[in-house]
Amino acid sequence: MAALAQNRVVSGTVTAKEDGQGVPGVNISVPGTSKGTATDMDGKYQIELAPGENTLTFSFVGFTTQTITVDNRAVIDVALESDSDLLQEVVVVGYGVQSKSDLTGSIASIKPSEITRIPSFNAVQSLQGRVSGVQVYNTSGAPGASPVVRVRGVGTFNNSSPIYVVDGVILDDISFLNPGDIQSMEVLKDASSTAIFGARGANGVIIVTTKLGKTGQEKPTVNVLAEYSIQEVAKTIDLLNGKEFGQITNEIIPGTYNNLNALPNTDWQSLIFRTAPMQNYQVSVAGSGAKSQYYVGVGYYNQEGIIPKSKFERVTLKFNNTYALSDNIKLGNNITLAPYSQQNAPDVVYQAYRAQPLHEPYYSDGSFGAVPNVGNPLASLEYSNNFNSGLRIVGNMFMDVTFLKDFLFRSSFGVDLSNSKSEDFTPAFTVFNPDGTPNQQQNLLSSLSKGSSSSSTLLWENTLNYTKEFGDHRLNVLGGFTMQSTRNEFINIRGSNIIRDFPELRYLNNPLYFYDPTTNPIVNNLSAINNGVDANMYYSLVSYLFRVNYTWKEKYLVTASFRRDGSSKFSPDNRWGNFPSFAVGWNIINEDFMKGVDVMTNLKLRASWGSIGNEKIDYLKQYSLVTSNGNTSPVFGAGSNLVSGTTFDVAGNPNLVWETTYQTDIGVEVAFLNDRLTAEFDYFSKETQDILVPLRTQGYAGNGNGALITVNAGTVLNRGFEFNVSWQDEFKGIKYKVGFVGNTLHNEVLAVGGSKGIDSTLVGGFLGNGQPATLSTIGLPIGAFYGFRTNGVFQNASEINAYPHDANVVPGDLRFVDVNNDGQLTAADRTYIGSPIPTFIYGFNLQLEYKGIELLADFQGQSGNQILNGKEIVRPDPYNFERHVMNRWTGDGTSYYEPRPTFGGYNYSISDRFIQDGSYFRLRSLTLGYSLPSAWTSKISVKQVKVYLRGTNLFTISNFTGYSPDFGSSNVLANNIDNGAYPVARIYTVGLNVTF
Amino acid sequence: MKVYPDMKKHINRGWLIMILVLAAGCQDFLDLKPQGQLLQTSFPVTEADAVAATNAAYASLRNWYFNSGGYPILDIMSDDARKGSSPGDQFSTVGAYDNFTINNQQDGLDRWWAALYQGIKAANIVITYVPDIAMDAGLKNRCIAEARFLRALYYFDLVRAWGGVPLVTSPEPPLDLGRSTLQEVYDNIILPDLLFAKDNLPEANAYAGNDVGRATKGAARAYLAKAYLFYPVPDFVNAEKYALEVINSLQYNLEADFTNATGVLGHFGTESIFEVGARPSDGTENGGAQFGNTQGIRGFPNRGWGFNRPSPDLINSFDANDPRMDKTIIFLGEVLDGITTQGDLTCPDTTYLNSVIIEIECYNQKVWTPGDNVPSQWGHHRRLMRYADVLLMAAEALNENNKPADAHTHLNAVRARARAGAPGGTLPNITETNKDLLRDIILEERRHELAMEGHRFWDLVRTNKALAVLGPLGYTDKYKLLPIPQTQIDLSQGRITQNPGWN
Repeated sequence: MAALAQNRVVSGTVTAKEDGQGVPGVNISVPGTSKGTATDMDGKYQIELAPGENTLTFSFVGFTTQTITVDNRAVIDVALESDSDLLQEVVVVGYGVQSKSDLTGSIASIKPSEITRIPSFNAVQSLQGRVSGVQVYNTSGAPGASPVVRVRGVGTFNNSSPIYVVDGVILDDISFLNPGDIQSMEVLKDASSTAIFGARGANGVIIVTTKLGKTGQEKPTVNVLAEYSIQEVAKTIDLLNGKEFGQITNEIIPGTYNNLNALPNTDWQSLIFRTAPMQNYQVSVAGSGAKSQYYVGVGYYNQEGIIPKSKFERVTLKFNNTYALSDNIKLGNNITLAPYSQQNAPDVVYQAYRAQPLHEPYYSDGSFGAVPNVGNPLASLEYSNNFNSGLRIVGNMFMDVTFLKDFLFRSSFGVDLSNSKSEDFTPAFTVFNPDGTPNQQQNLLSSLSKGSSSSSTLLWENTLNYTKEFGDHRLNVLGGFTMQSTRNEFINIRGSNIIRDFPELRYLNNPLYFYDPTTNPIVNNLSAINNGVDANMYYSLVSYLFRVNYTWKEKYLVTASFRRDGSSKFSPDNRWGNFPSFAVGWNIINEDFMKGVDVMTNLKLRASWGSIGNEKIDYLKQYSLVTSNGNTSPVFGAGSNLVSGTTFDVAGNPNLVWETTYQTDIGVEVAFLNDRLTAEFDYFSKETQDILVPLRTQGYAGNGNGALITVNAGTVLNRGFEFNVSWQDEFKGIKYKVGFVGNTLHNEVLAVGGSKGIDSTLVGGFLGNGQPATLSTIGLPIGAFYGFRTNGVFQNASEINAYPHDANVVPGDLRFVDVNNDGQLTAADRTYIGSPIPTFIYGFNLQLEYKGIELLADFQGQSGNQILNGKEIVRPDPYNFERHVMNRWTGDGTSYYEPRPTFGGYNYSISDRFIQDGSYFRLRSLTLGYSLPSAWTSKISVKQVKVYLRGTNLFTISNFTGYSPDFGSSNVLANNIDNGAYPVARIYTVGLNVTF
Repeated sequence: MKVYPDMKKHINRGWLIMILVLAAGCQDFLDLKPQGQLLQTSFPVTEADAVAATNAAYASLRNWYFNSGGYPILDIMSDDARKGSSPGDQFSTVGAYDNFTINNQQDGLDRWWAALYQGIKAANIVITYVPDIAMDAGLKNRCIAEARFLRALYYFDLVRAWGGVPLVTSPEPPLDLGRSTLQEVYDNIILPDLLFAKDNLPEANAYAGNDVGRATKGAARAYLAKAYLFYPVPDFVNAEKYALEVINSLQYNLEADFTNATGVLGHFGTESIFEVGARPSDGTENGGAQFGNTQGIRGFPNRGWGFNRPSPDLINSFDANDPRMDKTIIFLGEVLDGITTQGDLTCPDTTYLNSVIIEIECYNQKVWTPGDNVPSQWGHHRRLMRYADVLLMAAEALNENNKPADAHTHLNAVRARARAGAPGGTLPNITETNKDLLRDIILEERRHELAMEGHRFWDLVRTNKALAVLGPLGYTDKYKLLPIPQTQIDLSQGRITQNPGWN
C-alpha cells in the first residue's frame, strides 16, 4: 500500500444513470472526515485525498447514495441511480419493505418533494390529485382543520377514514407531523396490502416514514426552509346589494321601502374576510456515524385565518435515531413532540350570507348595529374567545435483532400521547336595536366553558421476519404479535358570571359567587360538569399476524397474509375476527419471450383478494345501559321538585361485530422506452358487509319514540378503475415530467336493513331546520340527496289546477313532480336528486426543469358529484338572497325556472333547485423555483440554495356558487351539503430552501 | 458478538416470556367495561334503585307525547276545541284531527304509542326486578303497587285510543307479539294492576314532602271506577263502588274556587287525585311539561303556541252565567294576573264559514300559569284525575244503577261549587229523575266541568254519542279507534293488524 502514502487527487464526472447527463451539486464526502466537495454545473468534481483515505461517498437528493472504494484510481466516474428508478424502488408495506417489482398489492408512493408542495400543516393535503383512488377534501378552510381522506370510495355509513401508520405506530391522523420531516408516504389500497392491518384496514392504510440520516452520510446535511404566505378568500358569493334586496322585498311585502336609492348597502362578506399570513420555518440535521444514524428536525408553523380570530400555531420537534449495539442488535427511536394552539372563529360565514345588506355594521356612535334574526357577524367575532391547545407526543422505540443469518426479530413499543384543553369565553354584552331596545344578540351573563382531555395509546408490536434466497426462490415470511391499549378521559366544565372579562380570570372556581344584576342576588358560577371517556379512544386490541411472500425466478409472485384480531369493542363471543388475503403477480417482462421487446421495460400483472375489517364504529351500541336524567324523572312535592328517576335506556345489541370489506383488485404495470413512459392500471371492486346501521325497533319494546337499535345490516359496493400514467424525458436541456392520475368510482348501497319501508332507508344530512336532506337506500350512492324534482314554475291558476300540487301554491311557485303518480303532491314524492360522491377524480402534474429553473404545476379535479346548497334552504326569517333571485317570476311567462320571490316556505322545500354541479377543475399548485448554480454555492460550502414562488388554489373552474367546491363532511350521510363552511383560501407563497 | 451473547440471550428469553404471559392474559386485557355507564344487568339492585326505577315509571306522564302525540288531539277531535295556532301552522299534521282527515301514518300517533310503551317498560322493570331486592318490605310493596298503577294507566290510554294492543309484561318482551283483545288487556292487566294498587298503595294523606304526587289508593280507586265505565260492556256496579270508595275515604274535596281545580294554587291540592307535576322551565329535561306550552297564549303575552283553541260550540254551550266559561277560556282583552291578553296580531280574530263563526281567537285558560315568560307556562300541572270527575262518575254510575237521588247529591255538589259567586238562579240543582234525561244532563255537566282537560272525545265515544255530536264535524264510526301507526304494523311484519276502516 506504499502507493497510498501521499496525498493524491481524484477527479471525475457524476452522471445520472437514467440519461447520462452530468448532475450538478452532488455531495462528495470522505467518510470519517469532514472533507467534502460538490460537483459543478457539468457534474465534474475534483477532490484531494490524504493517505489512508480510500473511500468516497456520492450523495444527492433524488438519487441512491453510492460509496466507492478508490484504490489507486485517479479518475472515478459515477453514474447515480435515481431513487425513483421503477424497478429498484423499495416500497414500504405493512410491517416491512418490499421491492416494487416483488409487490403484488396496489400501493402508491409519494416523495418528499411532493409532500411539501402544498403549504399546509397536514401532509395529507398533498395526496389530493396525486394518488389515484384517493379523494381529499376539506370540512373547513379554518386554520388547523384536518381534511377528510377517502381511499377507494366510501365503504361504510360510519367512519370511512383510513388509518395512518407512522414509523410503525398506528394512528387515526397525522396532523401532528411536520410534512418536511416525512421521507415517504405510501397509500395501501387493495386487500393484499391492507389485510395485514386486519380489523382496521378496510378504509385504506397510509404508511408514513419519517426521515433518517443515510448510512455513510458522515457529514451532516443541514436543511433550512423558510416559507411566507399570504392567504385570501378566492371568491365571494354573489348576493343581492341593498337596492336589489329592497326591490325584492317590495315585491314580497309591497310598500316596505319607499326610496330604494336611499337604502344602505353593507357587503357583509367583505367585512368578515381579510388577507392573512401563514409562516412555515424548519431546520433539520441528518447524518450518521459509524454505528448510528440520526435526524433532528425543528419546525414552526403559524397560520392566521382569512376570518379574524382564527389561527393555528404548531411547533414540531422530531428525533429519529438508530444505534447499532453490535453487528446484530440495533436500537432505535422515532419521536415527535408537537405542541399546538388554535383559535376558532364563530360561524360568521353563515351569518354574513344571511344578513340583509340593509343593516349597518355600526351605529354612528361606533357601537354594533343590530342585524335582526341573524346577529351582527362583527359583534359575533368581537365577543368570541374560543381557544384550544395541546401537546401530542407520538413515537416508538424499537430493537432489531438479527440471528441465524436470515431471521430478524423486531420489538417496537410505541406511544401516542395527547393532552388538550379548550376554553370558550363570551363576555356579557348586548347589541341594541335602533330604537334602543336590546336585540336578541346578547349574552346577559358572561359565560365560560373549559375542557380538558388526555388520551394515550400504547402499542407493542413484535415481529419475526425470515428472508431467504436459494436458487430461483426468494422467500419472506413474517409472523407477529401485537397489543394495543388506548385510553381517554375528558372533563368539561361550564359556568357563567365571571367577575371580570380579563383573560387571566378565565377560570371556573366553585367557591366564587358573584353578584348577578339580572336574576338572583348571587349566582354560583358553575353550571355544568361533564366527565367521561371518548368511546372512540377507549379500547384494547390483540393481534396475531402472518404473511408469506414468495418469488420464483423474478417472474412469479405469491403473497398470502392473515391477521387475527381480538378487540375489546365486542362481546367475548364476537371478539375475534380473521382477515385473510391472497395475491399473485406475474413479471411478464422477465419472461424469455419478452427478451426482444426492448421498447418495453416493465410489464407486470397482479391480482389480489382479501377481507379487511372496520372496527371504527359506535361499539357502545352493544351495551344495554341505564339512564338517569330530567327526562326520566318526575316532579313531586309542593315545591314541584324534580325527583331523580332512573331506568333502562334503549336496549343494546350484544351481537355487534365489525364491518367486513371483501376487496378484489386486478392491476397491470407497464413501462416503455427505458421507463420514460410508465403506467399503472387497477380495477378494484370492494364490498363492505355487516355495516352497522341504526334501525327502528318495535314501539312496544318500550325504547321510546324513534328509538334506534344498531345492527350489522348494511352492504355497500365501491368499484372503479384507477390509472397512473407518467412520461418523463429531456428536450434540449429541459427535463420534464408529465403525470396523469385518476380513478372512476361507482358507489352503491346494496342493503340497509330490511328490503322495504323505513328499514330500507337511512336518512341523514339534517339541515338547520331538522329536515333530512339525504337518503341512503338500495341502488343509490351513500348519502344521496333526496327532495322534490322541479318541473318549471306555475305560470297561472289553470296550470296549477292541471297538475298535482300543494294546497298552498299560487302562480309563480315551483312545480314539483308527482313522482309516484298518485295524483297528489306529498312528502312521498321526494326522490333521488343528486350524489355527493364524484364518479371521476383526477390529477394532472407537470414538472419542467432547465438550468436550475424549475416549474411545477399540479392540476386536479373531479366530476359527477353534486352539492346541496343547504345554506340557501333554511329560511325561518327574511334573509338576503343569492343573485339568481333577480331572474324571478313576476307574471305569466316571465320565468320558467326561478319562482316568485318569497322569504321562505314552499319554494324552499328541499328540491333539485338547490342541487349544484360539484364538478371542478383546479390549478392546485403552481411553483416557480430557482436553484443557484452549485459552482457558486459550493464556494460558501452550501450544497443547494433554492428560492421559489408558489401559488395554491390559483384558479378553480366550477359552476358552484359557494366558496369552494372541494369541501364536504366526514359524516358520509351529510356530505357535500354547504351549510356555510369556512372557505378554503387561495395562497401565495415565497420560499427559501438552503441545504448545507 | 463476543461482548453481548448473554445480553442477547436474556433479551430473547425475556421477550418470549412476556409474549407468553401477555398472550395468556389477553382475555383480561380485552375485557373493558364501558366507562361512566351503568349496565342494565346491575340495575335495579338496591332499595334506592327500586325507588329511582319507580320514579322513572312516572316520567312518561310528563312526556309531551303522553295521551296526545304532542298536540292535545283528543280535545281537538271533540266539539270543544279547534286546532288553534295560526291557520297554516301544523295544518296537515294537527289540522287533520280537527277535520277528521287523518290517515294511518298521521303525525303524532307513532309518538303517542311509543311514549306509552316506554312508560310500560319502566313500570315492567320495577314489577320484574324489585321483588328480588332485599329492602324494606313496605316500601317494596309500595314501589310495585305504584308501578302497577302506572302500567294500568298507560294501558288504559292504549285501549281507549286503539283497542286491543300487544300485551307487554316484561322489560324485554318477545318481538313477535300481535294484538291481544280489548277484553284481555282489561282483564289481564288494567283491572288486576289497579286492584293490586288499590290494596297496596297508601292514602294521599300518608305522603309528605317529595312523595306528594305519587300514586295513591284513591287514585287507584278512581281509575277503577273509570275503567269500569270504559269496560267493553260498562260495569256500573263496580264503577259506583269504586267512585263511592273514593268519596267515602274523605281524602278529597272540591276546591272552593273552580280556578284552583286546575290552576297553580291547587297543585297537589284537595281536589287533585292524580296529577302530572312539572316545573316552570323550558325543556322536559329540566322538569318542564310542554303540554301547557303547546296551548299557551300565542302573541302577547307570549306563553306558547296557542294550539287547542276552545270552540264557539263549547262557548255557546255553557249555561248563562256559568262562571266556568270565563274560567275555562281566555278571551282577547281578558286580564289575567294583571296582563291584558292581546293574542296573535297576525291571526284573524274571527273565522267564518258560510257566514257562520267557526272559530274565534281564544285560549285554554285551564293551562294558564302566572309568570312573566314562556318557561313559566311549562310549569302547568296537568290534572289527570280530580275529585269533580269522581263525583260525576259516581253520579253517572248511580243513575245507571237506578239511584237518581244519590246521583243528584254528587252532581249538585259539582254544580254548587261551580255557581259560587254567580247571580242567583245560575246552575240550579238538578232534580231530574228520568234515567235517560239525567244521563244526558250528567254528560253535559262533564263537558262544562272538565272542558279542555282531554275527556270529552272519549266520553262521547263511550256513551255512543260521538256520531250524533261529531258527525257534522267529519267524525265517522271508524274514529272510535285511532289507526294503529302504519310504522308499527310494518315493524311487526304484519303481526299487528290494523283497526277497521284504516287500511
